[in-house]
Amino acid sequence: MNDNKLILSVAGSGKTTYLVKKALETPYSEKILITTYTEANEEEIRSKFIKINKYIPANITIQTWFSFLLQHGVRPFQGSLNEIMFEKDVESMILVNKQSGKRYVGINGPVYWSEKEFEKYYFTKSFNIYSDKISKFIIKCNDASSEAVINRISRIYDHIFVDEVQDLAGYDLEILKLLFASKTKILLVGDPRQITYLTHTERKYGKYKDGKIKEFFENELGNIIGCEIDEKTLIKSHRNNNEICKLSSQLYPEFEPSQPCECCCREEVGHKGVFIVKKCDVEHYLNKYNPIQLRWDRKTKVNENFGVMNFGESKGKTYDRVLIYPTQRMKDCIKDRSKCNDIKSGRAKFYVALTRAKYSASIVMDFEENESFDGAEKWKPN
Amino acid sequence: MNISKLNIENFKCFDGKFSLSFNSGINIIVGNNEAGKSTILEAIHLALTGIYNGRYLRNELSQYLFNIDATNRFLNNIKSDDKTPLPHVNIEVFLENGDESMIALLEGNGNSDRETASGIRLKIEFDESYKDEYEKLIEKETLDSIPIEYYKITWKSFARSTISSRSIPLKSALIDSSSNRYQNGSDVYISRIVKEHLDSKQKAEISQAYRKLKENFMEEDSIKEINKQIKEGSNISNKDVKIAVDLQTQNAWESSLMTYLDEIPFHQIGKGEQCIIKTNLALAHKKTEDANLVLLEEPESHLSHSKLNEFVKSISDKCCDKQVILSTHSSFVANKLGLKNLVFLNKNNQVKLSDLKSGTQDFFMKLPGYDTLRLVLSKKAVLVEGPSDELIFQKAYMIKNDGRLPIEDGIDVISVGLSFKRFLTIAEKMNKCVAVITDNDGDYNSKIINKYKDFKNMDNIKIFADENNVLNTLEPQFVEANNWEMLKKIVVSEKCQNSCKTKAELIDYMIKNKTTWALRIFESDEKVEFPEYIKNAVRWCGE
Repeated sequence: MNDNKLILSVAGSGKTTYLVKKALETPYSEKILITTYTEANEEEIRSKFIKINKYIPANITIQTWFSFLLQHGVRPFQGSLNEIMFEKDVESMILVNKQSGKRYVGINGPVYWSEKEFEKYYFTKSFNIYSDKISKFIIKCNDASSEAVINRISRIYDHIFVDEVQDLAGYDLEILKLLFASKTKILLVGDPRQITYLTHTERKYGKYKDGKIKEFFENELGNIIGCEIDEKTLIKSHRNNNEICKLSSQLYPEFEPSQPCECCCREEVGHKGVFIVKKCDVEHYLNKYNPIQLRWDRKTKVNENFGVMNFGESKGKTYDRVLIYPTQRMKDCIKDRSKCNDIKSGRAKFYVALTRAKYSASIVMDFEENESFDGAEKWKPN
Repeated sequence: MNISKLNIENFKCFDGKFSLSFNSGINIIVGNNEAGKSTILEAIHLALTGIYNGRYLRNELSQYLFNIDATNRFLNNIKSDDKTPLPHVNIEVFLENGDESMIALLEGNGNSDRETASGIRLKIEFDESYKDEYEKLIEKETLDSIPIEYYKITWKSFARSTISSRSIPLKSALIDSSSNRYQNGSDVYISRIVKEHLDSKQKAEISQAYRKLKENFMEEDSIKEINKQIKEGSNISNKDVKIAVDLQTQNAWESSLMTYLDEIPFHQIGKGEQCIIKTNLALAHKKTEDANLVLLEEPESHLSHSKLNEFVKSISDKCCDKQVILSTHSSFVANKLGLKNLVFLNKNNQVKLSDLKSGTQDFFMKLPGYDTLRLVLSKKAVLVEGPSDELIFQKAYMIKNDGRLPIEDGIDVISVGLSFKRFLTIAEKMNKCVAVITDNDGDYNSKIINKYKDFKNMDNIKIFADENNVLNTLEPQFVEANNWEMLKKIVVSEKCQNSCKTKAELIDYMIKNKTTWALRIFESDEKVEFPEYIKNAVRWCGE
């Protein structure tokens, strides 16, 4: 089966619009599921439908990845695992950001329930399933039911579209792999640079963390399951201008660099590109250009009189201008691009922050008079 | 899409778990009163619509939905063991043959059979969130009823997803003799069926038109004037009091609009006509995306014979792609719709005629007057050829059994003409105890031994006939068993006493006046002897 596709996109390339249009082009008789990791993005997909099509056609279902896993992964065949699961209701899922199922804290750190303690390993006391183990649970269900889980899903949906696929990891990837082998056609879209959520602590497929989703599909599918990898369709940014594309791409030399699109008519405005702004000039800068301030978290001090947002929250959004409060490692990366890889998970956030801007992305950082920055201009009030 | 199986547990007359499978076309449920026929139809309708007795069950929970024996067992056990689990009602409908995507959506192993199947499950069960309250309650006092206030309804697919009646792809129409009506008298079922004919756009248009109508009412000058007067003249409240039309519910039109037939409100026309119209509407369902199921309760009860014939014909013509499940007491209905489709219910048990030979089914379809259901419903049956045999056998039975008629002991004597073997094939499939009383027609070997050789080794089927070929029918048999001159006095009318001068003439007279002589024996108090094979049959009845 070669109808599966992974499209690697760049920030601002309009991948949600692309997915929505693809879904609308599909014949009405074919059932489509569109799923994505975050509720915010799910909402974004819905409003995109309303904008383009006024309503969401009945053959299209939109739900978050976890809601999909709960409804179609956990519940239908949970009874295959053991006696208790036949009659138990798994009402919901508990989102955890650390390994779940802690038994006690010992001298050498926390000790966890083993998988043999089935209920304690997978569920809270009120029988809600832990988010870090839900996809593992589903894989076990599928094995125990002679693949009834995947078989059922593939009969419900002719197509499954996954947006922000870079957010999936661990056993999620195993589920994707099984779906790839089914008769459902899978379309994955994501930007491997923009991993901002990583709640899986599972060691399964650990080497494909940190944006190596492409390598997963290249290495793990084997010869029988096909997947076309497309790195060209969504390479052009409708949002960023040349300077921002160039600098943000330098953060990820391993990927195809992004380019500004030729289709959008870009307004002629002054003050375009990437700028470095001294701390003492921030207030002046804010007053002059009114950018949105982007920061790591609430602990970062900003000017409270102007709009502000955490890096993670800003994902998917577009602003004319942004002012970024960088971490120390981000500063090092701006000074020397070869150090960008050292910011680890911060690299994705930095990339997200930079690519929010249509006209100018500025970075708060003090500099010497004789210093110069590749791809960025020093800003001075005149 | 159609129902392939139904599971019922503790619902009304079903104690414990009961299972019944269906075929995709017509299903005829027969059974004695109280066997659970109507309950089966109600259960299916409830699981597919959430409606019971014309209302949403959610608001109508009562302990009478629970099987009385299961309830009493629980109330008894809880006295000695307060850990006794509370009883629950469980109804499961298994679905098949639908749109693949729909079938898959409802698929999972969330059913009491624990098998991978597509379907819907409705459960009335204890709500665990009331655990503390319940424990306190049983600590304090003894229960004398199920604490229904702590119960909830869960309605899920076999994939354990909560569902609503809108999301169920199989639309069910229950057509029964009860008349469940909205407050204004319009019929719940007919508005449901009519509603399901409409697509969502049309429904929205009706809603809007209805709302406009009500708004226009408020804009009427006279109404405005009245409201003004009320406002000024009343001291009812310091708030604004006025008359308005109820616009509360989204589907208000459904309960307020009336279905008319030739200018007559639907519920004012005859019950029989109502039944025909509802059924035809349900069968003519035009929406192709939804499958349709018609549940019919005893259609014969409001219909004359000729109307019934017309009705049954329209069912068998139109149901080709729809499933029909009906209960009946009428052999005519059952014969016409095909005995193969018959399901016989008996004390939480079921027997089907699904592998009945098609020759036999065709025979009864063409000759629907035969009382097949009497055989099906009887405890034991005696098949005879005609009324004279029937009368003689009954008389012989009464003499042996203190004057009781066989039917009083649950033994049904049925005249079947020459179609003994047709009836026996039904008896064979149903494992019914059946006796045949028949003449040897002068050739015991071919007319009895050969003819019935297929049934020879069956314990439940017994053939009673005499081996003596000379005594070929009941009349010579009867004359032989008695003193003919004594017999003559009983059976021959006074006028004709002189014309029967010999034994042979008496036999001849009896053959010519078959029913008459038998009736005279039946009514006479004189002691007569019965042929040996009839006495044997009477003995068999007592076994």
